[in-house]
Amino acid sequence: MVVSATPSSAVRATSMPASTAPSSLALELRGVSKSYPGTKALTSVSFTLKRFGMLGLVGENGAGKSTLLSIVNGTVRPDEGTVAINGKPVRFGHPSEAARLGVATVFQEQGLIATIPVYENIFLGREKTFSLGGVLHQPRMIAEAKAVLDELEIDVSPRALTGNLSFGQRQLVEIAKAFAVARIYPVEPVILLDEPTSALSDSEAAKLFDGIRRWRKKGSFVLVSHRLRDVFAICEEVVALKDGCLVLQRGIDEVDEALLHQSIVGRERNAFFYHEGSQREPEAEIAVSAAGLSKSSQVQDVSFDLRAGEILGVAGVLGSGKSMLAKLVAGVEQQDKGMLTLYGTPLKPGARRQAIDLGIGYVPAERTIGGIIGTDTIENNLTLPNMSLIKHAIPWFLSPSLSRNLTKQWIGRLRVRPSNGKALCRTLSGGNQQKVVFGKWLARGVRILVLDDPARGLDVGAKEDLYALMREMAAAGAAILLVSDNLAELIGLSNRILVMRNGQCSALIDAPKDAKPREIDILPAML
Amino acid sequence: MRTIISRMPSGQIRSFGPSIVAIAILIAYFSIVNPLFLSYENAGNIGRQSSVLLMVSLAETVIILIGSIDLSIGALVTLTGILSALTVDALGIVGSMAVAVVTGAVVGLINGVIVTQLRVPSFLVTLGMLSILSGIANQISQGQSIIFENQILPNMMNGSLFLHVPNVIWFAVLTTVIFTLIAFRTRLGRYLYALGGGEIVASNAGVPVTFYKIVAFVISGGVCGLAGVMLTGQVGAGTPTAGSGLLLNAIAAVVMGGTALSGGVGGPHRTFLGVLVIAILTNGMDVTQVNSFTQDIVKGIVIILAVSLTIDRSKYLFIK
Repeated sequence: MVVSATPSSAVRATSMPASTAPSSLALELRGVSKSYPGTKALTSVSFTLKRFGMLGLVGENGAGKSTLLSIVNGTVRPDEGTVAINGKPVRFGHPSEAARLGVATVFQEQGLIATIPVYENIFLGREKTFSLGGVLHQPRMIAEAKAVLDELEIDVSPRALTGNLSFGQRQLVEIAKAFAVARIYPVEPVILLDEPTSALSDSEAAKLFDGIRRWRKKGSFVLVSHRLRDVFAICEEVVALKDGCLVLQRGIDEVDEALLHQSIVGRERNAFFYHEGSQREPEAEIAVSAAGLSKSSQVQDVSFDLRAGEILGVAGVLGSGKSMLAKLVAGVEQQDKGMLTLYGTPLKPGARRQAIDLGIGYVPAERTIGGIIGTDTIENNLTLPNMSLIKHAIPWFLSPSLSRNLTKQWIGRLRVRPSNGKALCRTLSGGNQQKVVFGKWLARGVRILVLDDPARGLDVGAKEDLYALMREMAAAGAAILLVSDNLAELIGLSNRILVMRNGQCSALIDAPKDAKPREIDILPAML
Repeated sequence: MRTIISRMPSGQIRSFGPSIVAIAILIAYFSIVNPLFLSYENAGNIGRQSSVLLMVSLAETVIILIGSIDLSIGALVTLTGILSALTVDALGIVGSMAVAVVTGAVVGLINGVIVTQLRVPSFLVTLGMLSILSGIANQISQGQSIIFENQILPNMMNGSLFLHVPNVIWFAVLTTVIFTLIAFRTRLGRYLYALGGGEIVASNAGVPVTFYKIVAFVISGGVCGLAGVMLTGQVGAGTPTAGSGLLLNAIAAVVMGGTALSGGVGGPHRTFLGVLVIAILTNGMDVTQVNSFTQDIVKGIVIILAVSLTIDRSKYLFIK
């Protein structure tokens, strides 16, 4: 299902007030589009945020949330469309201009400097206000910072060293900074919170939300979050993005969690796209047996069997522990408790070498950090785990011709472009980089593949190639553990789906080719 | 060498450009100012003066390739040079060489183990090691040059076996060839590039990251030991100031050649060119009688210019 976008402001906002009187809209986007080479990040997005409003912005990875935030805070220039903040149109190209109009972003990765006191962070870049002939009036800075912190009832000393504060406290300081900066200009702050609760404990998150509720009449907020319950906890309105398009803007009372999730991830699943017809029955042989796997609080007592020829999907929201599960199985991380057996051989905890020798290939989620060496060639990336296949007759040496042929063979089979093995990997598109990551394991002849969101950020064509490849591998008897954020993909490809919630396995759902579950069957176990 | 070059990625060949251009300009300029610059003898001088620098720069290349840095190489050359001067009369050439190389390798091992096990940045570990090694060298030598009786060592370094080219040059060139072969034709070489280009990728691919990092430091230390013996033989004595100018020139040569300080890009073959630039520049200014203080200024300017042309900025988020 698709909820059509009907921004209520489309008619209203034909004339924007140019006066300094507070506009009734804190934020107004009209027809904002942005393309990057190969992808359309945003397609004609329009929505509004009321003055002192609290808007939730939701969407899955790659839906365009980050691009949208970057456009609003002035770091990215849209191809088309206009943005107005507090009634004033933004001229793009000056990140500082959005700040002058009141926009402040509180990022996941925090933007505070750990080695200086809180008050210096609060006024970082605005010292001019407090300086006379280049000398800073420190007492006034401190007093001013204290006034803001007190007004927001944030219990942090302005003189405290920022690095000594907890993550939650630092986040509050960032919000205080936004208010303090807005005071200087003076404008009403429009605060963009990017995944603010992802690194907070439940009690810290509750504290943050208490604060935001108190600050209602002082500023306007946009909350970007994966966690729908955060949105329901404090937002008045919600906007959903999918594939760069706005698919819903409604009052929070008019939606429930299931509807929201549907509009974020809901896709017409195309059975052909996932080659559901060629889904096979698993063999009897157990490839991976996990018994009671635990790793700190991220994975707790997870057990499953993965059979040869089977694709086992792992679903879960961000922070459910599904990525850590993949790392444990691949031997990249070491479990605290529990046992892994690969084709009958127990795997020593965290023994990556042994896991590779037993035939595990691992495709990590962060391709450019863990999957591909951008400064190196396709050939060197492909052969990295395969030195034993390209040995020269002379001991110690590698055979350039074997290396070249192996590379040529896999570039051909996976249709990597460019087909020149000497091309540097950082010049490749994401899809081709991912093919190289797959290729280095396929060249080894792996029997087990652990894939962490392998199709993330790839275009449709590259995805199609990847899915076909996974089917082909399963047909040849490989066992595949597929962790993914994309439910349609999981349903389409998997034989069974293991659902994780808060580190635990909350459900194991069968997905035979003629009776695929619906997204709505899986969602309750995730949320 | 040709086939190796032809098999390198096209991007690498392109970035040879600046060093080759620099070399051509320098040769043209100095030979106009002083025609003797182009003579066969002078070419031999350039080679003699830069052989030890080439060895040390190769040692530094291995470390910079994996994304680390070694500041102790110059001090290590000094120390191993003194040790070989002290032992050559008692142990003979092979013995003193063994002492120097083993000492170098052990120092490398210590550096490597501290970097990987205690997880201290290589910059700091080797900065400390620089101080320790020069202290030891001064203590052993009491600040004096160590003179020895053995005449085979000086003859071996300064004499010429083939083509009237001094043996030190053969040693350094041979080491360059061996290092280049290691870099492109062995597992070790490919792993070194992988470590510098993406340590996590390498670790995910099952590369024993810690082991190979330590190996890099050990190799680098061993080569510095060899360079120490070469220097002692060339000079005819072990001196406590012998290696002092090497560190900065070596890092400059490596980076000018095009090996990125961030690791994973470049290689020994490039360092060869970087050393050539520095050697030609130094010698050219000598033969054109530029005074030595001016030489330092010019060298500094050329290094900054060359690096700003060759450095690969794509890996840097910030320039610090």
